[in-house]
Amino acid sequence: MKKLSLIGIILGMCTFFAVSIANAKVYLDVFGKSYKKITIGIPPFKAEKPDKLKTDMTDLLHKDLDFSGFFIVAPSTLIDKELTDEGIEKQEIKFSNWRSIGIELVCKSRLIEKDGELTLESFLYDSFDGSLMLAKRYRARTGEWRRLIHRLADDILLTVTGEKGINSNRIVFASGSRSRKDIYISDIDGQNIKRLTNHRSICVSPSVSPNGKYLTYTSYREGKPNLYVFDLENNREIFVDREEGMKVGTNWIGNSSTLAYSYISGRYSTIYTLDVERKDKKSIMRSEGIYTSPSFSPDGSKMVFVSDMYGTPQVFIKDISSGQTKRLTYSGNYNSSPVFSPKGDLIAFVAKFEGSFEICTMNIDGSNQRVLTSGGINDSPHFSPCGRYIIYSSNKGGKSTINIMLFNGENKKTLNLTDAEETQPRFAP
Amino acid sequence: MKYISILFGILMLISMGCAQKTVQIPPSDQQHLQSIQQGKYDFQGDGKIKEGEIIEEELARRERERLKDASSYARNDFMQFKDILFDFDSYSIKNEYVGQLDAMVNWLKQNKSMTITVEGHCDEKGTVEYNLALGQKRAEAVKAHFTRSGIDASRINTISYGKELPIDPGHNEEAWAKNRRASFKLN
Repeated sequence: MKKLSLIGIILGMCTFFAVSIANAKVYLDVFGKSYKKITIGIPPFKAEKPDKLKTDMTDLLHKDLDFSGFFIVAPSTLIDKELTDEGIEKQEIKFSNWRSIGIELVCKSRLIEKDGELTLESFLYDSFDGSLMLAKRYRARTGEWRRLIHRLADDILLTVTGEKGINSNRIVFASGSRSRKDIYISDIDGQNIKRLTNHRSICVSPSVSPNGKYLTYTSYREGKPNLYVFDLENNREIFVDREEGMKVGTNWIGNSSTLAYSYISGRYSTIYTLDVERKDKKSIMRSEGIYTSPSFSPDGSKMVFVSDMYGTPQVFIKDISSGQTKRLTYSGNYNSSPVFSPKGDLIAFVAKFEGSFEICTMNIDGSNQRVLTSGGINDSPHFSPCGRYIIYSSNKGGKSTINIMLFNGENKKTLNLTDAEETQPRFAP
Repeated sequence: MKYISILFGILMLISMGCAQKTVQIPPSDQQHLQSIQQGKYDFQGDGKIKEGEIIEEELARRERERLKDASSYARNDFMQFKDILFDFDSYSIKNEYVGQLDAMVNWLKQNKSMTITVEGHCDEKGTVEYNLALGQKRAEAVKAHFTRSGIDASRINTISYGKELPIDPGHNEEAWAKNRRASFKLN
């Protein structure tokens, strides 16, 4: 797996143009209690000749911004010929016309296609005062046009919300049929799906290290559920835990190359941390019963996990330095799969209700529990690196699909990835 | 012509001495070969040594078959042990299955060379990860029952498949009840 920076997008030209830019102004406080979506107008890109690529790129930018959940993208029918024909420079734009149709932000771009290379110059204006918020030039090989647009969309999100979007992120997940399940990686929009394992067996619980270098999963390839760490850059296995018993539930600690997982065998469960670069494995907790799904706060000081120490699965938090453990969930008889947000302020988990399993969030002291989904079997929540999105699997009686929503449960989307059952999604860089 | 060739073959063998371990058969005489393989051939006169060899071989085969029968009897006997079922989110063995587990203990004591695998499975409810842990606990609960009854732990493997391998793909209580199980495999 190559780093995104190596795939041919040349972003050397992302110099801010020498124009006054509304600097560090955050338009949307997305972590506030509520927010209003911003209406953005995206007229078709200017290009020397009208072609399909230009239309496809404009459409993808529409989709990406709509997908983010922070924008209402003005329908193209609203943008009349006068607005479309307008130039892209500030002095050529009549902002009053845009304001009059309720558009708050205008994104204009010029596309140049030459020798198999694309150059896209994009400007983002605030229609209220015509101020230039973003001006960037992107270059990429023509074949990489989707990634170029994802990068632009993420930059628009960064400008408007103060945080990058997830359009350039990828996801790993398990997919397949009974007894034949592999690990896949895909762009967030379902493009570039690639199978990472080919074990003719069952592979579960994938996760990619924050630097994108390592993949872990549990595979039955050798007849038993062993935990594998795979170096994606050098395409080789670097660690296998073959102890007798179940090894599962990996989560990476902060941005490190250390992961935590649980090992269940005999009467005991053990939570291990493993520094995959130094092959340094440590037991940090060992008790009778089930202790699984460890997930660490970004600074590594706290760990949430699920345990049946009181008879039913409940979520607990352990302070690593003091060793103190506190129970976080009391309602219901099934609370499981806890995961820390990358900001360390929220915990997502799965709770059982009447006949359904729902994705919920709570504060790290267990307060303010919120139910974000409704109906079916929802599982495996995982926060995006920016902390604003939760990816999860959902099965409402048919096939299990991968879904994404904002951390407050809004803007749910089903990602159409494969025709098979899809489970256990995780964000990957 | 046929008898001449047989006689010729036998004479050849005798002339090669008693150390000869195998019966040399002219490849042309397929019927003869078949007869020997089936242990039916009745040698006359000088054929005694060869006859002895054939009988010895047959005994070995009979012994193998007898052992195979015993093993396949034990294997067939093992087939009677059906899945044992669990309540939702539970890995305690229900009373109704103690009888079967005790019968399995007896079987394990009678067949000391055999090792088995206990597979723990779950229904589709709940999370993938927790179910992988729960399935392990179900298998371990069964193994603990065996070891408490004096079976060596090294003879019992455990494996959890979580909810990955349901035997009933349905999405109802009937299917779920069947899927929350420990099943048994001979190694």
